[in-house]
Amino acid sequence: MTSPTANKNLERVKTILWAVMGVWMVVTVARFTNGLGATSGLTDVAPWGFWIAFDVMAGVALAAGGFVIAAGVYIFGLEKYHQFARPAILTALLGYIAVAVGLLYDLGLPWHIWHPMIMPQHHSVLFEVAMCVMLYLTVLALEFSPAVLEHPLFHRPLFQKLLGIIKKLTIPLVIAGIVLSCLHQSSLGSLFLIQPFRVHPLWYSPIMWLLYLISAIGLGLMMVTLESLLSAWLFGHAVRTELLAGLGRLASFVLALYALLRLGDLYHRGELLSALDGSWEAGLFLVEMLISAVIPAVLLALRRVRTSVAGMATCSIMTVLGVIAYRFDTCIVAFARPEGMPYFPTWIEFAVSIGIVSGAALVFIFFNENLNLSGHDKHDEPAAAGQQPISPTSGHGQRHSFTPALHRHSLVFVIAAAAAIGILPREAIFGAEPRPTPVFHSRTVEALATNVDTPLRRLFHLTSLAGNVPASEDAEPVTVVMIDGNRNWRFVPFTHDDHAAALGGRESCRLCHHQNLTFDQNTACFQCHRDMYETTDTFDHALHARKLGNNAACAVCHRPGSGVKSRETALACWECHGDMVVAGSIIPTTEAGLMGFAVGYMDAMHGLCIRCHEQMARERPEEFGIEFWRCDFCHREFQDTDHRRLAPYVPMPPGHAELSAAGTSRSNSAQP
Amino acid sequence: MRYAIKPEDHKRYAILTDTTLCTGCEACVHACKQTYELGRDRAWRWKSKVDDLSSTRFTTIITRPGNHHVRHQCRHCLEPACVSACLVGALQRTDTGAVIYDEHRCMGCRYCMMACPYGIPRYNWDSAVPYVRKCILCYDRIKEGQLPACVEACPYGATIFGTRAEMCKIATERFAANPGKYYQQPGQSEPELYGWNEVGGTSVLYISDISLAFLGWQSNLGNQPIPALTWGALTKVPPLALGVAAAMSGIYWIIGRRIKLQAEAAARESSEARHDVPDRE
Repeated sequence: MTSPTANKNLERVKTILWAVMGVWMVVTVARFTNGLGATSGLTDVAPWGFWIAFDVMAGVALAAGGFVIAAGVYIFGLEKYHQFARPAILTALLGYIAVAVGLLYDLGLPWHIWHPMIMPQHHSVLFEVAMCVMLYLTVLALEFSPAVLEHPLFHRPLFQKLLGIIKKLTIPLVIAGIVLSCLHQSSLGSLFLIQPFRVHPLWYSPIMWLLYLISAIGLGLMMVTLESLLSAWLFGHAVRTELLAGLGRLASFVLALYALLRLGDLYHRGELLSALDGSWEAGLFLVEMLISAVIPAVLLALRRVRTSVAGMATCSIMTVLGVIAYRFDTCIVAFARPEGMPYFPTWIEFAVSIGIVSGAALVFIFFNENLNLSGHDKHDEPAAAGQQPISPTSGHGQRHSFTPALHRHSLVFVIAAAAAIGILPREAIFGAEPRPTPVFHSRTVEALATNVDTPLRRLFHLTSLAGNVPASEDAEPVTVVMIDGNRNWRFVPFTHDDHAAALGGRESCRLCHHQNLTFDQNTACFQCHRDMYETTDTFDHALHARKLGNNAACAVCHRPGSGVKSRETALACWECHGDMVVAGSIIPTTEAGLMGFAVGYMDAMHGLCIRCHEQMARERPEEFGIEFWRCDFCHREFQDTDHRRLAPYVPMPPGHAELSAAGTSRSNSAQP
Repeated sequence: MRYAIKPEDHKRYAILTDTTLCTGCEACVHACKQTYELGRDRAWRWKSKVDDLSSTRFTTIITRPGNHHVRHQCRHCLEPACVSACLVGALQRTDTGAVIYDEHRCMGCRYCMMACPYGIPRYNWDSAVPYVRKCILCYDRIKEGQLPACVEACPYGATIFGTRAEMCKIATERFAANPGKYYQQPGQSEPELYGWNEVGGTSVLYISDISLAFLGWQSNLGNQPIPALTWGALTKVPPLALGVAAAMSGIYWIIGRRIKLQAEAAARESSEARHDVPDRE
């Protein structure tokens, strides 16, 4: 039965499959430790990708062979296809297990996969699909269980009794399987009915459920064909061309029906001509229709093609690819996404899907080697054949070839896993990382500003800036340039007009626009506003002299007998401006050396504001009972530690607006 | 022309956004971020731009040419597609009108994100335990009689809150007070109250001086509720199940009987018994 070539093929395939399993193990760990964003190409506008399209949509369709063959053999009495039944049911069982496993990768919270059972929401098509798939998996397991229970390992009275019960239930199980399959195969199409705006009109159709069902039946037939050709190649069986020809004939009808329905529906909806309008979707549609239905249906109608292995292989591969393409097109390709947000799967997504299929293939090969899959009731003869899967002609029994095979498989597994770790992208190892935040242009917004005399002391009525400050009576609209390059909410409201007014009208242009660096369009803010972190000489000698009475006033500060008139020998600021002194302030105002220099904004806040607030809170707790000592009282926009450290502009908390407004007017009127 | 909206839906809460009053200051976004402690926006791979809706940004301002600012957020549809799509009922429409999300039910299938006609729900893809994120109309606040944070923060009254009927009344008053100011669809007698009918009506209404067709996946979303599309298919499920089951049982019985009769006839005709399984190597 088995030939040396087939044996060699099988060993090669198994080695490759074990290598894939090694890669699969690595990507599985990456997927579940670092999440979907780090390992897949999915985006907010492409929430369903390769895993849904291939593992679920295509996987379910590819496993349709199980119910189609079961229906043919058990319901329609086509006994000659009996030998296909068990392999087809096993493929379906493994296929559905692969679907479930694939779903575990795709679900964000796979440990909640059982939720539909206890939290049903029957308005959801997905709920129907989930329940049908769950039940059908059970049915498939029961349908396949005789093959396992017939194994000598289970020759015990209890198992044989169970086997008897299951065999009696065969027909109800098969009918249940057909019903469940029809329901969820069609409902996978209905899933897309909810998205009439995103699925391209060539694919979106009210009868999508019917198209999905019929294309799945056609695909199921061709998949059984392909599997039997493949297992003939792998296990060295003879190809039963006359049986395959029968499948091909049926598939020809089903695929033709699918093509007619699809085109008829397009005609009915008046979309038929858009298939020829030359857009890439139209091209995609034509190719998909040709390879999934039209060409196979025509070829399979020819007896010469049906009876040739090459012809059947070509047709089945075409149909398989075509129907998979149909699922991909509705799910990913012909699915509207905004410009600039393309979806392409990462290699990890491919590796997961290929790994799942490879695992299923290994299990299939294991069952094929150890169980009686031809399904004859008398298991003596096939079981004997099944227990010697490795060709006796090669001179090695299973026992002898097992150890070297195990060594080889372990070796390729480890090597492939190591290689996979080597080429894992950084994000798959360390978790998703954001791209560098692009710097945004400033935005121009309109704001209401209090109309105070000093233009740069305006209070802008922007809640983001200063809490909910009510607009004052004489508020006037101004244009504010919001400078917020990284959109992190600490924007600087730059008022161009106010700057021009404060710096001297038209004469002031040069201050910012002509004293800049090469290729700069304007002077950076910090070129003038240097007082953020630096000490600044804010003492205006001329102003003091003028206010205090010009030449006669020298002695007010430079006391007689203090020697040469210098900064160091003059009175300290606080000796006149008593209200500058705050008990416990870390600003050393009493040191003569610092007289005349104001500390930077940050030091002033930390050294003066906080101390003053603490002092006031002690003196008048009912008014100042605020937790000013807490860093996040000011640095409150973002509670994360990243941004607590540097806050160049702290928005005043609500309620502080009146204070600052009062402060402004006081400083205006209380000039010495 | 208009889809029949249930009268009780007009008593539920709604937001009216007047884009002509919006200056794009994004105070609403900031208030939302503070209320839900969303943190800063990052330039993730799965976002088209940093200030797009995301799991850290439930509302955003879309700036259109000509200094038009349109606030984008969950529409809280009267017949939400996401609610009908969710197979575990993690998304629910409440009596207040808010469509809320229960992360303890969610299994992360993201069918809601596929279903939404406005493309609103977002996912925190960066997490290994990801959840769906979207505006919930400040459900906890409005239950206690407070305003949604965004509405409370808006300094210009560009976005206001009340029952759907009140919002419609205010919109109509503004239409009457400012003839010609608001965008009017060609062939319509009155300016457009965007969201009144779209996909069966939404709880977030817009009046604007520009066409807001860009907000949905398609320029005309129609007035039919989205869930009706899948519900039509779902109602076919029981008849399909029964029909297939009946047909299969019938065919099994007929074919079984025919095979039996043939076998009996063959047995009568000749003594040679017919094999059930003739094909064997």
